[in-house]
Amino acid sequence: MNPETLARLRDCCIDATAFEQLQQILAQEFQPLKREIDVAQFQIEQRKALLRVVTRLRQPLDLETIFYDTAVEVRQLLTADRVGIFRFYEDSGWDDGEFVSEDVDPAFPSAMVQKVHDHCFGDQFAVHYQQGRIQAVADIYAAGLSGCHIEVLAQFQVRANLIVPLLQGQKLWGLLCIHQCSAPRQWQPIEIEFVSHIAEHLGVALQHAELLADLRSEIAERQEAQQRSQSLNQGLRQAVLELKAVNHELEAFSYSVSHDLRAPLRSIDGFSQALLEDYETQLDGPGQDFLRRIRAATQRMGNLIDDLLTLSRVTRSSIKLEAVNLSQLAHVIASDLQQSQPERRVELAIEPELSVLGDAHLLQVVLENLLNNAWKFTSKKPQCRIELGMMLQANGTPAYFVKDDGVGFDMAYVDKLFSPFQRLHGMQDFPGNGIGLATVQRIIHRHGGRVWAVGELGKGATFYFTLVDEEVEV
Amino acid sequence: MTVSASTKTILLVEDNPDDEALAIRALKRHHISNQIIVAHDGVEALDYLFGTGVHIDRDTSIKPTVVILDLKLPRLNGLEVLRRLRSDERTRLLPVVVLTTSSEEQDMLDSYSFGCNSYIRKPVDFVQFSEAIRQLGMYWLLMNEPPPL
Repeated sequence: MNPETLARLRDCCIDATAFEQLQQILAQEFQPLKREIDVAQFQIEQRKALLRVVTRLRQPLDLETIFYDTAVEVRQLLTADRVGIFRFYEDSGWDDGEFVSEDVDPAFPSAMVQKVHDHCFGDQFAVHYQQGRIQAVADIYAAGLSGCHIEVLAQFQVRANLIVPLLQGQKLWGLLCIHQCSAPRQWQPIEIEFVSHIAEHLGVALQHAELLADLRSEIAERQEAQQRSQSLNQGLRQAVLELKAVNHELEAFSYSVSHDLRAPLRSIDGFSQALLEDYETQLDGPGQDFLRRIRAATQRMGNLIDDLLTLSRVTRSSIKLEAVNLSQLAHVIASDLQQSQPERRVELAIEPELSVLGDAHLLQVVLENLLNNAWKFTSKKPQCRIELGMMLQANGTPAYFVKDDGVGFDMAYVDKLFSPFQRLHGMQDFPGNGIGLATVQRIIHRHGGRVWAVGELGKGATFYFTLVDEEVEV
Repeated sequence: MTVSASTKTILLVEDNPDDEALAIRALKRHHISNQIIVAHDGVEALDYLFGTGVHIDRDTSIKPTVVILDLKLPRLNGLEVLRRLRSDERTRLLPVVVLTTSSEEQDMLDSYSFGCNSYIRKPVDFVQFSEAIRQLGMYWLLMNEPPPL
């Protein structure tokens, strides 16, 4: 009370005793008021501190800074000896952890240096903290704490402590610990309330940090995926380049084959013929026969080279898709065959208007090969039948077929049919070089279709093909 | 039928001596007795036609009636020879028959776009080859009216 007021009061009193009594009465009246003012003052400071903490949480700061600044703030306001942020190790069952941040009075040791193991905590208390329990202990030696708990606290010289859980969503992430080391301390409800507010806000910060970490790892994952796809693309580009180079080489190779392999054949054939013409009288029968054999072999090799070139061209040439009338193509090929051997009696059954989407030139090669084969392998029969038709498969895609009733083949060798140079019949019986069906297979594969054969020795053979990728179609 | 030994000549551009011999044999056997000049590569062919190099002293007003041109030749290939002939006023209209082993589509396209008058593939079978040469000689030496040069 200020001296002026006191002087005026003394004047109102009869004597010193009365003044003394008055002073005591007033003091009693004032005391609660003063306490209330103190509390209000503390609340204001608290609010300010809380505001500062909350403001900081809104700034893009890392957790470490937030923890430290908060610890400083809280220790100052509560005049505590140590404020620490304790974090449990993941998957330790809340038995192990460490202080990740603290502000401590220099008179007392730091709690951050050592790891903390307290198995009684994990066993007994974690579940309570998980539900938001706050522990306020005025004196650790007078609160009936378990021995192991006291031991843990004593190593940090803790005498009184106030512990509030830090929850990251539903998960008990750690603890906000306020320690009094110098002496026991009775924690005031207002202090407890303040600390729990702080803990709530830290919880929010933890959640934000978790979200941010998730986001970052997702971004990193995406970047990694992007990088992977980029390197994959690069590999693909490289492969395409290499393929182009190989194709180019193949082209040069075929060109060279077409030129250089044929030229010597022409010489062999030409001079054999010259011998036959100019030295006919000097050559006896076998001599002339040998030369004829040489010429026949030359012819075969010439055809072989031509067929190989066709096979390689089929692989290299680009495919132009258009509507192709298979029936029409087949009629032309069939009439050529009939003209080549007018004496043969072959019934040709060609289903009309078989229209497909494909490369006209390549499909011509397919039909030529299949019909020529059918023609060839029925040649030993006085009367035979060759059929071109279509059947719908179970999956709805059409399969086209060339069927004959010729010598057929043994299904045991069906796998060999489409490999180049594989033949199932002797040269004597049916001449050929085994490239035709390999060419057919390549053409069909390039259309995305498949080709297969069914046959029986002495009964005939049927060759089927499709012209679409059935997995895509269905 | 014998083709009269006229002033009409054939320039055969061919590097393979066997093919050369067989072509000449085929012509002779079919009694085509016209003079056959052989150039063994592209450069030699151009030298003959333009009177350069080894043919510097040649009277270039005498031109072959037809040039039989192989495509695969040393030094200067057949397509290049054809291109130069067509870009020169003196040989722009000279009949050129490509006679080659190649059946590559690209070679045919190139030959025709460079202005060849005919494209014939050498058959492996000598009888067919010989027949092709005979018809070729007959056609270009007898049937065809050469461009008025």
